[in-house]
Amino acid sequence: MALIDMVTEEIVKIPLESKDKPDVLRELVQILKDAGQIDDFDAVLEVIREREDKGSTGLEKGFAVPHAKTPAVCSLKLAIGIAPDGIDFDSLDKQPSKLFFLLVAAPDQSGPHVEALSEIAKLSRSNALCKALVNADNAAEVVELLKGE
Amino acid sequence: MSKPIKKIMVYVDGTEQSVTAAQYAICLAAFSGAELIAYYVVNTRAMEDLLRARIFLKDEQVEYEQDMESDADRYLNHVNELAVQKGVSISRKRSKGSVHKEIVSAVNDEEIDLLVIGELSRIRSRRDEFYDEAERAMRNVPCSVLIVKDDDRVWEMYQSLS
Repeated sequence: MALIDMVTEEIVKIPLESKDKPDVLRELVQILKDAGQIDDFDAVLEVIREREDKGSTGLEKGFAVPHAKTPAVCSLKLAIGIAPDGIDFDSLDKQPSKLFFLLVAAPDQSGPHVEALSEIAKLSRSNALCKALVNADNAAEVVELLKGE
Repeated sequence: MSKPIKKIMVYVDGTEQSVTAAQYAICLAAFSGAELIAYYVVNTRAMEDLLRARIFLKDEQVEYEQDMESDADRYLNHVNELAVQKGVSISRKRSKGSVHKEIVSAVNDEEIDLLVIGELSRIRSRRDEFYDEAERAMRNVPCSVLIVKDDDRVWEMYQSLS
């Protein structure tokens, strides 16, 4: 499944309520849980935390891409969270992160996982899109911006 | 008139859509007598990009590459089994690099008449960022391309193949 097919209002939350990194990871995983995308909240959160402990996925320009593989999912899962005021995510440029793309994949689907991460990386290079996403009013607008329809 | 399709290549990437494409390609090869190749590309280009973007750690890149090598063997073996079950001969090939470029290169090198790929995103986006690798390959290969849809119908067709 292409990344764009995974983008629905149910997996988008704006604004995020969290104020720090541990809470935002929990809140992003909760989006998946609330959307019925995962059953085992703790297992998913644990692998995401483990990956972040090895090195922050907070990139530059307010973009963060927490990701991990786990047998707790059988296909790619995406959650999008937006924090217009920014959250300290230990990012590369030390700036607060505003756009969070959480990606969780099954261990035997590295190919689609890598391709989806690559698509997210391309999105992160579009300054205009990132700005528009941060200024979106609601989940529907985020979906509309990403799908360009 | 010579056979219009002598050599078919099906691109397999581990998605359900690509397995459906493989089932269709097996049927097509059985009906047409064309030679069939299953092709998988380990997307090392994307992994290099992810490392450069700092989304991947070096250890992570190595781990994912090993996983993808294993995935390549597993999926190509699965497609091979699907073909063998129907008495269709199939060659398995794989490479590493930029997926769409590797597909174009393989189509040229193998003199492929028809590239078979799985269903593309149903949602059209104006965002170029969302064009996936199969779509890029479709746009760039010199041969005809067949996009396989309707997995239920394809499964029935595959099952009915004696």
